[in-house]
Amino acid sequence: MRHAPSATGPVPVERLDASRWRIPRDARPGMRVDGIVYADDAMMAVLRDDPALEQVANVATLPGIVGASLAMPDVHWGYGFPVGGVAAMRRDGGVISPGGIGFDINCGVRLLRSDLDEPEVRPILGHLADALFRAVPSGVGAHGGRRLTRAELDAVMTRGAAWAVQDGHGWHEDLERTEEGGALAGAEAAGVSPRAHERGAPQLGTLGSGNHFLEVQVVDRIEDPEAAEALGLRDGGVTVMIHCGSRGLGHQVCTDHLAAMDRTVARLKIALPDRQLACAPLGSPEAEAYLAAMAAAANFAWANRQLIAAAVRETFARVLGRSAERLGLHQVYDLSHNIAKFERYVVDGALEDVCVHRKGATRAFPAGHPDVPAPYRSVGQPVLIPGDMGRASYVAVGSPGAMEATFGSSCHGAGRLMSRHAAIRQLRGVDVARDLARQGIEVRAERRDLLAEEASIAYKDVEQVVRVSAAAGLVRPVARLRPLAVIKG
Amino acid sequence: MPAPNGLGRRHEALPHTADVGLRAEAPDLPALFEEAAAALAELAADVPPGARGVERRVERSAVDLEGLAFAWLDELIGLGEAEGSAIGPTTVEAVGEHGGPEAPWLLRARVRLVPYGPDGARPRVGVKSPTYHGLRVEAHLGGWALTAYLDV
Repeated sequence: MRHAPSATGPVPVERLDASRWRIPRDARPGMRVDGIVYADDAMMAVLRDDPALEQVANVATLPGIVGASLAMPDVHWGYGFPVGGVAAMRRDGGVISPGGIGFDINCGVRLLRSDLDEPEVRPILGHLADALFRAVPSGVGAHGGRRLTRAELDAVMTRGAAWAVQDGHGWHEDLERTEEGGALAGAEAAGVSPRAHERGAPQLGTLGSGNHFLEVQVVDRIEDPEAAEALGLRDGGVTVMIHCGSRGLGHQVCTDHLAAMDRTVARLKIALPDRQLACAPLGSPEAEAYLAAMAAAANFAWANRQLIAAAVRETFARVLGRSAERLGLHQVYDLSHNIAKFERYVVDGALEDVCVHRKGATRAFPAGHPDVPAPYRSVGQPVLIPGDMGRASYVAVGSPGAMEATFGSSCHGAGRLMSRHAAIRQLRGVDVARDLARQGIEVRAERRDLLAEEASIAYKDVEQVVRVSAAAGLVRPVARLRPLAVIKG
Repeated sequence: MPAPNGLGRRHEALPHTADVGLRAEAPDLPALFEEAAAALAELAADVPPGARGVERRVERSAVDLEGLAFAWLDELIGLGEAEGSAIGPTTVEAVGEHGGPEAPWLLRARVRLVPYGPDGARPRVGVKSPTYHGLRVEAHLGGWALTAYLDV
């Protein structure tokens, strides 16, 4: 693979323990803090040849960064920030960097559970997969059932998932089981560009493309019975996982503000090792404008997943001939893995509000934290970790170690291992859908010929990622989910 | 292998762990920006030869050439998605320092958009945003080269 060249050779890393490595702050000019990478030996052997380590070092140069530039165990090469990157910035003297949130603002995961068992679903799995594929628009340029008016879109961006529930798409209890209640405060729809409006207006309730998916799964292993019971998960129970974000609207918000901050960086003469790290001082008009637009896009994403969840409930009810209530299709949780938020942590011995950037990283608050929904407060915040379509996904809960070491953060998925080109090249002549069908997994996709891009070999083993996260004290694994049917964009 | 596309013009896709990159080469700047558009179009969709569509006029400006490449790719991606269309052939009429003091580099172009549909374009990869990561526009072998990575 041809990687972006490094002018100064490999990034030096030192082992701290079995799951942590340090990039010393003198590894690269301008680093203000160390880099800390969560990985085992096998992962680090792969990472040493990956530009992600350089990106961890680059993030450490950002003004106002505290603690360390962090890389979760699913880290891989991103833009500016690595995917799987976490960085916290001081309110006073720190910056916000849209690249540290990512283009797909509030890309995230929602999990529904049910009272169904695999034997009830298995005989109708193909029919169910077809019905879900029809009910949830997916693929490039997918449009929802209706084009939102300007007023509706503004309401979505202000109220998020609550707008969707009030519009008849879901249950009030869903909001209690969604990070931030499904809406970030401070959203300003007026700060979202006309182009972002144009891209978002027809896309609410759509899955999109790339690594986004909708998956029917079965719980095939319980690792923490107490936490599983609190989350309503049981061995053999059928679940549904939804992975998507803010669609074209969020991408345009990020692009617009990245370009604006590129000008800010030049004006303020902020030295950056990568232009994609464009940023603005927290409290500046540029930072405030971005945070308001980011919140608007995040709220669009929560409404998007809310509409998709409603379509899933309707589809299950229609195919199985029982209401979603009778099927027990309750929401376990919905979380974001591309977002920035002000949170309070101990920094240099004192409590301080910092702006935590999570780019491909999940909030992982432990038991007792006031921001964990009341039903889960005794076990910790659910951490939803999608794997790949041929192996498994995980549910975990946050641990106290995450508050001490990673600003309450953990991994967000398996993490890519291989480029799309490499995956296609390696699987030339292989019918990925047919192979998955042989494993009992039904797959529906707009472009069946492009499924190789998302095949298991393109991803790290999520099991390994979860083990490293747990060994480092960031999460406690609760349950493993095996795919039964996958809808891909 | 890079795809040759006229005298001294070529483009290729570059691998990226999570996303995709492109590299274009051309003897002059307007041809370079056309070639980058062709690389993007090829990544994003299969467009049948001779497919009809609508033409849009585009004008973007930026502080430097890399910024102009970012703006050009942003315009193509956003325009295509907003209109439910693939990017067809483009004609870049001008690239130069003709803009105002804040954003001196200016591009003027015509873009053909081919709607998605059974008789039209067929989407391939959902290209969603340009990035500044590894973005370069540089003199190369007597002509120009452009490297960009795109979020998909």
